[in-house]
Amino acid sequence: MPHILVIEDDEITAREIVLELAAHGISAERVHDGERGFERALEPHFDAITLDLMLPGMDGLTLVKQLRERGVTTPVLMISALGDVDERVRGLRAGGDDYLTKPFAPDEMAARIEVLLRRHRQEQPAQTKLRVADLELDMISRTARRGNRELTLLPTEYRLLEFLMRYPGQVLTRAMIFESVWGLRFDPGTNLIDVHIARLRRKVDNDGEASLIRTMRGSGYRLG
Amino acid sequence: MDRGTVLASPAARNLSIHWRATTSRLLLAYGVFFVIWGMVLLGYIYWETRHYLETRTDLQLKQQITYLRSLDEDHMLLALHDYVILERTNYNAWGLFDSHKKWLYGDVLQFPSGLAIDSDSVRMPTEQVISGPFAPPTPMLSVIATRLGNGEVLVLAHTTRIAARVGGIILHALWWGFSFTLVPGLIGGLILNRGPRRRIRQIESATQPIMRGDLRQRLPVSNRGDELDRLAAIVNDMLDQIERLMGEVKGVCDNIAHDLRTPLTRLRSQLYRVQQELSEDNPHASLIERCASDVDEVLARFRALLRISELEDRRRREGFVAVDLGETLERVYELYAPLAEDQQLQFDLHAEPGLVVQADPDLLFEALGNLVGNAIKFTPAGGTVTLSAALGDAGRAHIEVADSGPGIPEELRHAVWQRFYRGDSSRDGSGHGLGLSIVAAIAKLHDFELSIDGGGTGTRMGMDCPLQAAS
Repeated sequence: MPHILVIEDDEITAREIVLELAAHGISAERVHDGERGFERALEPHFDAITLDLMLPGMDGLTLVKQLRERGVTTPVLMISALGDVDERVRGLRAGGDDYLTKPFAPDEMAARIEVLLRRHRQEQPAQTKLRVADLELDMISRTARRGNRELTLLPTEYRLLEFLMRYPGQVLTRAMIFESVWGLRFDPGTNLIDVHIARLRRKVDNDGEASLIRTMRGSGYRLG
Repeated sequence: MDRGTVLASPAARNLSIHWRATTSRLLLAYGVFFVIWGMVLLGYIYWETRHYLETRTDLQLKQQITYLRSLDEDHMLLALHDYVILERTNYNAWGLFDSHKKWLYGDVLQFPSGLAIDSDSVRMPTEQVISGPFAPPTPMLSVIATRLGNGEVLVLAHTTRIAARVGGIILHALWWGFSFTLVPGLIGGLILNRGPRRRIRQIESATQPIMRGDLRQRLPVSNRGDELDRLAAIVNDMLDQIERLMGEVKGVCDNIAHDLRTPLTRLRSQLYRVQQELSEDNPHASLIERCASDVDEVLARFRALLRISELEDRRRREGFVAVDLGETLERVYELYAPLAEDQQLQFDLHAEPGLVVQADPDLLFEALGNLVGNAIKFTPAGGTVTLSAALGDAGRAHIEVADSGPGIPEELRHAVWQRFYRGDSSRDGSGHGLGLSIVAAIAKLHDFELSIDGGGTGTRMGMDCPLQAAS
């Protein structure tokens, strides 16, 4: 069971994070202030950290920077109050792995933590092939096939499929897809990502085949 | 003068700027006053001089005629002859008439009508006294008449060239005087004017960042303490106040944001938890889902609002790099093409190559994405949406998103960029009406100019971006 360190001074937000993570089968420990948070984060048994940027004691940016300086590689999801673009850039530069602004949907937060956990675990020699059920993606020839049927994908569709296949069985929210596949971070409206997924789905699923890309009610998509 | 014509040519505009400067106006008013005063002064001198000369002439005439009357006729005629010959510099004429005013001798061939005998000299038009080749070139003559002892009448006419010349000299003086004072005066004035104009330009350039939203900037104040400094100081005080008030308003907004953030997040997560716990066939499941999506909508609006206020606050342009418009448009097109196809719209892209602007690439993408998304949303099936970029006028690139949708009535166009504006009910889609405000905020940050055209037959949203100078 993954174990998460939650560094958050706001009582209610902290409780929500812990509860939501528990609902996803992730245990969490909570710390109120920056200095205590830093001490705990040095301990090796945490799989990931959620970090509020505005903290008493030591601010989040300094905290993550010092962690990285000490060689701690635990993935960090930074959470900040206002959606300041510059702050996000600073946060990611300081060594954070992902960034979320309040108010956030708890499932979005949980989905991001799950992706961080998986990404961290996966950091092995780079794979050249991804395989989910009978779907196969060759990252060298940039081709995909389902069973023995070759899929003809446009570059965007290929990247979308690659992202989904990297995290099989994992809920990926629309925002996460938009950020990872297009590298953009604004709200393009729910419709847009749905349309792209629908196109990809038409290519991946032939008539009669079980749909591999599942729509998750209220949250996003899941492959496999 | 019409502003439009003033702006037509740079030279005319430059002149007009000179013209409008306070110093220029003061200088001109002073110049006019000076000219009028000079004319009055010289006129007075002219009038006084003439009066003096004429009085002298009159006196001279009177003395001469008195002397001539005392001579006997032969001597008198000789004296008259000498008088005409000797005083060549002035003009003299005489005439001798019998007691019935019939001509006897002299140049004056006819007794001037209306001339009183034995009184002071009078001024008469030359042609009333003498005409023909011997007439003097002056228009007026001084004339005097006296009755001699034998009853005959002697008429003397006299004009001084000096009086006429003095008038000419004074007029010359007037002309040269004005030339020598006014021309250097005007040039000096223009030079004097340059100082204040330079300072106005400094003030102008200082206000640019303020107008872009950087309220920390202040106008430059020199230590001269003149009118411009006083004005700049007043404006600076005003800016202090505005900055303070804006800070307060922003503080209130941030407080509201802070206060709403937590309960909203909590509401969303509790709904989510209920949703997870209910089985699919529970009758309340769909209700809960609707509630959850409503809360998501609120959260999306909330994020958009925070985003706008963040964009409006941004002063730094650190993230700005050279952005190729063709490339960006291509990416926008690629992102939105499936959506357009899904809505059965024809979606076209026309981008001129080689258009490069200074921009934050992500923000530019966001703005264009919002415009295109909006166009797709409000264009009915079967319509067209066109995304294009072309070289516009004045070294700017013109990006345009045109659609064949219902269009925006002219009177509503200015409101489109404001927060929460969303057309009439026919346009009531899923959007939260903040997309275009985000576009407006991004455009403002970049100094891009937005425009809306069309109506009835579609909408054309334009964005003019200054091109990056070729390096």
